[in-house]
Amino acid sequence: MFSRFFSRVGLLAAPFLALVMAGCSKADMNVRQSTLDPKGPVAKMQYDVFMDTVWLVVVLFILVGGLLVYAVIKFRARPGDEDAPRIEEGHGNPLVEIGLITASIGALVIIAIPTLSAIWYDDDVPAESIPTSKLSAWYPRLEGAKENYAKVVEEQVLEIDVIGKQWWFRFEYPQLGLTNDAKRSVPNEFVIPKGKAVHINLRSEDVIHSFWIPKIAGKVDLVPGRKNHMWIQGDEVGHYYGQCAEFCGDSHAYMLFRVEVVEPAEFAKWVQRQKADSLPVVAGSKAETGKALFAAKTCMMCHNINGNPQAAGVFAPDLTHVASRKSLAGAWLDNRDPKAQLAKEQETLNTEQSVEIDRDVLKANLKKWIGSSGVATGADGKPTKDVKPGNRMHFYQAFSVSGLNPTFAPLIDAAENALTEAQAAAAKALVDAKGKSPAELATIKKAGDEKVVAATAALKKAREILTPEELDCLAEYLLTLK
Amino acid sequence: MSHDSHHAPVASKLELAPERSDLGLIRPDRTTGWTDWLTTVDHKKIGILYGAFAMFYFLVGGVEALAIRTQLIRPDNDFVTARMYNQLFTMHGTTMIFLGVMPLSAAFFNFLVPLQIGARDVAFPRLNAFSLWTFVFGAFVLNASWLFEFAHLAGWLNGFEWHKHLAFTDFAPANGWFSYAPLSGTYGQNGQALRFTGVGTDFWIIGIQVLGIASLAASFNFICTIINMRAKGMTMMRLPVFTWMTLITAILIILAFPAITVALIELMFDRAFGANFFNPSAGGQPILWQHLFWIFGHPEVYILVLPAMGIVSEILPTFSGKALFGYPIIVFSGAVIGFLGFAVWSHHMFTTGLGPVPTAAFALLTMAIAVPTGVKIFNWLGTIWGGRVRFTPPMVLSLGFIWMFMCGGFSGVMHSSAPADSQQQDSYFVIAHFHYVLLGGVLLGLMAGLYFWFPKIFGRMPNAPLAYIASGMVILGFNLAFGPMHYLGLAGMPRRTHTYHAGNGWETWNYVATIGAYILGAGVFLAFANLAWTAFKGKKCASDPWGGRTLEWSLPSPVPEYNFAQAPIVATRDAYFEDKHGGKRIAYENDGGEAGVHMPSQSWMPLVASTGFLFAGFGMPMMAMGVPHAGWIVITGLGVLILGIWLWAVEGPGGYMLKTPAASGSPAPAETAAH
Repeated sequence: MFSRFFSRVGLLAAPFLALVMAGCSKADMNVRQSTLDPKGPVAKMQYDVFMDTVWLVVVLFILVGGLLVYAVIKFRARPGDEDAPRIEEGHGNPLVEIGLITASIGALVIIAIPTLSAIWYDDDVPAESIPTSKLSAWYPRLEGAKENYAKVVEEQVLEIDVIGKQWWFRFEYPQLGLTNDAKRSVPNEFVIPKGKAVHINLRSEDVIHSFWIPKIAGKVDLVPGRKNHMWIQGDEVGHYYGQCAEFCGDSHAYMLFRVEVVEPAEFAKWVQRQKADSLPVVAGSKAETGKALFAAKTCMMCHNINGNPQAAGVFAPDLTHVASRKSLAGAWLDNRDPKAQLAKEQETLNTEQSVEIDRDVLKANLKKWIGSSGVATGADGKPTKDVKPGNRMHFYQAFSVSGLNPTFAPLIDAAENALTEAQAAAAKALVDAKGKSPAELATIKKAGDEKVVAATAALKKAREILTPEELDCLAEYLLTLK
Repeated sequence: MSHDSHHAPVASKLELAPERSDLGLIRPDRTTGWTDWLTTVDHKKIGILYGAFAMFYFLVGGVEALAIRTQLIRPDNDFVTARMYNQLFTMHGTTMIFLGVMPLSAAFFNFLVPLQIGARDVAFPRLNAFSLWTFVFGAFVLNASWLFEFAHLAGWLNGFEWHKHLAFTDFAPANGWFSYAPLSGTYGQNGQALRFTGVGTDFWIIGIQVLGIASLAASFNFICTIINMRAKGMTMMRLPVFTWMTLITAILIILAFPAITVALIELMFDRAFGANFFNPSAGGQPILWQHLFWIFGHPEVYILVLPAMGIVSEILPTFSGKALFGYPIIVFSGAVIGFLGFAVWSHHMFTTGLGPVPTAAFALLTMAIAVPTGVKIFNWLGTIWGGRVRFTPPMVLSLGFIWMFMCGGFSGVMHSSAPADSQQQDSYFVIAHFHYVLLGGVLLGLMAGLYFWFPKIFGRMPNAPLAYIASGMVILGFNLAFGPMHYLGLAGMPRRTHTYHAGNGWETWNYVATIGAYILGAGVFLAFANLAWTAFKGKKCASDPWGGRTLEWSLPSPVPEYNFAQAPIVATRDAYFEDKHGGKRIAYENDGGEAGVHMPSQSWMPLVASTGFLFAGFGMPMMAMGVPHAGWIVITGLGVLILGIWLWAVEGPGGYMLKTPAASGSPAPAETAAH
């Protein structure tokens, strides 16, 4: 009874395919990281080649699949076959074989040709996109180039260095002086001018990562010890989403980034802003306390803030303009109001549209991010959850520079020792008290337990590097960095 | 050697006199029960053990897969932690490939190849047992990492001094089944060997290394068996297709595994002894790992697929009532796939910045490999064409195999186009692709094989309605789980990410995929439960229930330990079918009978020797953990290995004569054969 049903099992694929096709609305095609909605020449080329393969495959699928369904139904065993003469034992037909092999090769040639041309097209900025010599006659060190960057970008190919780290991206614009060496790097959200070809250099400082902005270009890996390159171009203004596509450790899923495609004039303004220092904090405000904490809690050992002379680190993301970015923590935390953003996307049917930063969301994100890894306690009194497991933001205990961090690392050690000693003492007291009356035993046990509880509380306090008030001040300070 | 006592033929091995070698070592020939299974050198028992372990690990890998899907059922889920998720997908991939599909294929190789070529055992029976136990211990070492992980999570290891000094506490591997350096390797200079991952990676390295030894030993064995042990008249072009695919697979293993062996040794030296093969900060080349890994890894795909193709090429003719269409072309295309399989490894590396010329070359070669694969599908279609298709569980699963494999092949053609691949690489599109090939293809093929040959292996017929329900659930659940992943990949969802935000448009199809995965898991479990029940309690059936075509169906079920009471002489391809329906009968040599068949002696030594790998397998990661004196465990392991091999060598050839029923009763077919 099942055989009839399952003789059609192959047919399942057909309605399934129809279902998938029916489900392909426009909204499904242009989701945030869709490869089916290219917005730049590289992604467009990749999409076109992909569609060539799709059409070829659909034709083959209908041909071969149709024949298979036909054969299985037509040549199924029927009652009475047992008495029929045995089928002639044949071993194939050379003409059919050669014909099919030739046809297969022919079908592959159809996709081989666009594939080859696209491989070379995608490799680097095509000549027609470079109006004049690629030699950087206008390199920033040259006279007048610095002031003229807008014109320079207009005329030449912009270069961006992308550096991957566990788990965030750093962007540098060497021609424009926005580099880590100049303490002007751009973390996690970068900006490119619309309609301009951009040459991208890819490097990694630890493990292999992969740089992928589905709507703008397919991925290229960032391999430590190698310099890879690619080129991109954004043809429509918008806010685009990218993600690391090579497994790179614990928090690989959190390694996101964004790219903003803006009008060239807007781009020039953005570059100006990147070069500006942060504004001074208002005296007596929470932000001023936060600024002091930024130094006292050793944030400044890794982070750079132009305008805050104490903060000159090079390892971690540059925070000079942290409050102007739409995302935080490797673009994992979104600083926009999620409901407003969703509404805008649905209203415009365009996921590249973006609402502005929401100050409350940003502040909540800052507190969540800085307070993660259990260095602060949340509203429920428990250590805050890790936003990004394995991240290095709280590795500052490794820095034992005397005088810089007099507060926590030694204190934690001391508190840990105190707890161990309290536990040992309590246990020893119980052993020593062997043979005493139950009442006395209970008193001794209670005293020991109290000491352990006190020591545990002290350790918790020592580990809580930031009190809720301090966390708030720190967030307020960072909110001023626009 | 006091070996003479065994030369008198016996009717059962339990009648044998106890035998001792000059060293006083006992060959455990007269044993039953546990000892018999532990010391067996019978290819059929070894095949059954391979199959049982493989099915167990299929379920383990399946549970890992379901945990992965449960985590992804909704955005921002925290069913498991990021690290646990990474460990799950690492172990899922590794388990399914090395502990599921490969040993299940090996189970078929072991059970079927000697029967199909008319031999009484494999060329090296003790080496065969060594392969089995080495696989078992390698698999155990790999999975023991989970035990350490759980002990760590439960806090049982906190008291140890060495535990306090660990920089990374992932005990189960969290480096992916591909283990790209330097994430799996080291950084830093002057032999510091600083790491990105914990001892899980060390478990993975030694586990895969040991499994590789098992695969290599088995492959040499099967090549020797197929080349040398064929019955008279069984020319190469009369070999059943499954045996052909076994031969090609074995050759692929021998050529592919050395690459991963070298890579693993280099990685182990990097991690354990501060070498710098893949350490970028000391001038090493991480990209070298990828080349070495994929020049193994791509042929590995064909190592997984070819046996399933062989199985399907046996089943389709049986149930179409018609010889395989284009036998020489099927065999030749299998060989071409094997050959080209070594020329396409860099298509896994299209995004690593190879440059346009190598990218173009590998793209074209990858397209080329679609031709022999397509040829197989055309020939299977040709086999059905004009036949009388009988629907049975193996046939339904084989047809499912063709469909799913075809879909997987089509998405494979899409990847071959490097520019399109740069969008698909490391996205869910790839996951959909290779699950269509490896699950829809290989697993359905292997399940078809299980249902097909189970009556031969145990003499019992699996329950057909249950088999249909299970197959239906597998096929439906599978398409529901992996069909949507094509879309998810194209919608930009990268693989190996333990969670995703709402708002990316991935929520619906991830939900559907997870539901599909549950149906799939239930289906596989039902199918395996049906088979396990059949093995012990199933309905007894005739020796040739399907109308089989190849030699194994001419034997009684279950197959006697000497296989062929008299050695067959084959006159044609599909010898048994011709014997039943055609003009060319199988002839038999005048051997066996009262004089007996020479049987190999059982031995403890393969088991003892492979136990060495158990010690070494635990010792290396424990050394990396910093457990004091763990290095001595490794040295002990190597000592046990060498001791086992030495005792194996000196325990003598053994062997005894077993009487067969041939001469005592029915007239030997040899005399009636038309010659």
